[in-house]
Amino acid sequence: MSLEAAVAQAHRREWAAVLAATMRLTRDFEAAEDAVQEAFEAAMVAWRRDGVPPNPGGWLTTTAKRKALDRMRRADALARRLPLLVVPDDDPEVIQDHRLRLIFMCCHPALAMNARVALTLRLVCGLPTSEIAHLFLVPQPTMAARLTTAKKKIRSAGIPFHVPDDLTARLPAVLAVVYLVYTAGSADRAVELAHLVASLLPEPEVLGLLALIRLNEARAAARFSSDGKPVPLAAQDRSRWDRSAIAAALPLVRKALRGGGPYALQAAIAAVHAEAPAYADTDWPQILALYDELVTVYPSPTAALGRAVALSEVHGAAAGLAEADRLSAELGHYYLLPAARAEFLRALGRCDEAAEADRLAADLAPTTAEAEFFRARAVDSPTRP
Amino acid sequence: MKYMLLLHEPDTDWTAVGQEELDKALAEHAEFVQYLAARGRPFSGEALRPSCTATTLRPKGDDIIVTDGPFVELKEHIGGFYVIEADTLDEAIEVAKHVPIGSGVEIRPIWDA
Repeated sequence: MSLEAAVAQAHRREWAAVLAATMRLTRDFEAAEDAVQEAFEAAMVAWRRDGVPPNPGGWLTTTAKRKALDRMRRADALARRLPLLVVPDDDPEVIQDHRLRLIFMCCHPALAMNARVALTLRLVCGLPTSEIAHLFLVPQPTMAARLTTAKKKIRSAGIPFHVPDDLTARLPAVLAVVYLVYTAGSADRAVELAHLVASLLPEPEVLGLLALIRLNEARAAARFSSDGKPVPLAAQDRSRWDRSAIAAALPLVRKALRGGGPYALQAAIAAVHAEAPAYADTDWPQILALYDELVTVYPSPTAALGRAVALSEVHGAAAGLAEADRLSAELGHYYLLPAARAEFLRALGRCDEAAEADRLAADLAPTTAEAEFFRARAVDSPTRP
Repeated sequence: MKYMLLLHEPDTDWTAVGQEELDKALAEHAEFVQYLAARGRPFSGEALRPSCTATTLRPKGDDIIVTDGPFVELKEHIGGFYVIEADTLDEAIEVAKHVPIGSGVEIRPIWDA
């Protein structure tokens, strides 16, 4: 492994643990963040000279703590007393607990959602501000300001560095952040984060989210054609699905379903799709039953629409259309609603109305690739003889 | 740390409401005060007269203009406040959940002296 790769790997795997251990010393995450950053810079030099150490995480933790201590000595007049504060090498359980504290601090509900996501990527994943800015399509100074504001709030409002007593109340906020990281297009980071949370806190919903992301990722290659156009599920080349990744995620789904929460149910729906050898083999009654459950525990536009599609597969396109029309009052501006209506209308032979619905979906679509897809479908679809 | 809990409520003229409603509101606050006292949590607090009694000063050039009414005209106003001691925001939130809630409770950390 090259030096750069070794440092990159250590960054990915160890950042949160090193930061958490350093925070234990500094009691201040900004000082810790700077020290960890310096430790990684030092690693580039030292590892080139001496080779990659057998335990990169340990090396980085020791170095980051030393850097933090140096800073504290420089800053503090009581320099000579500080060595007393040096704690012995952290045992793994303490580090785990501290990483969890870090996550709950970053995902605190008193922070704005976009600040939570940015902070988590910065402090838990160690992503540079420039990369976070790129991910959320904002200029770097904007993202830097967002992070500064959030850190200021943590410090001055007294957002604590601890694991909350009421985990069930606070876990959804953490999972929402992980899911947002995923939908922002950073699948690797989302999987890492979900994996980290699952290893620290193996609650059913955490496993459900991890399974959901893994199942979606296992099928990601078939979701777009070679020229970047979205491919609907029915037309996807299932030989491009990663069958071993799907098989690996299934036990997680089973464990997650014991909790019956929204991520578990979405993962179960993804699993039923993923297990079907062909679109025609899909177990739609099973999917409909899962959606019935999902809209009860987690009413959302996507769930309601997914249920309408399942309804049409089980009871016919007319049933799907009726359900979509019923939803149109609340979901009027959600582009996948006219998109689904177009499919139901086409199946019923109402092609002109279908084309009109496709054009509406194109107008509302968030990306040009999707807009083009619906526009093309509106043109291509057969007109009624 | 000290936090101020700002109690936002629909503007109410407490001199004009019925005795029953007044007693109920007072009892709710008495209960909250008891909650704080039972936990040995230092606090202070006051109830404010309605926003129609408010006077607002605004700078205008080198002058200060005195105007009738609250700083912002809304349907809800700050009806009162508590200042509490808490170690973290989570603690402050837990306390604030016990405040008799009108339209909302705003939690503001107070600068350390």
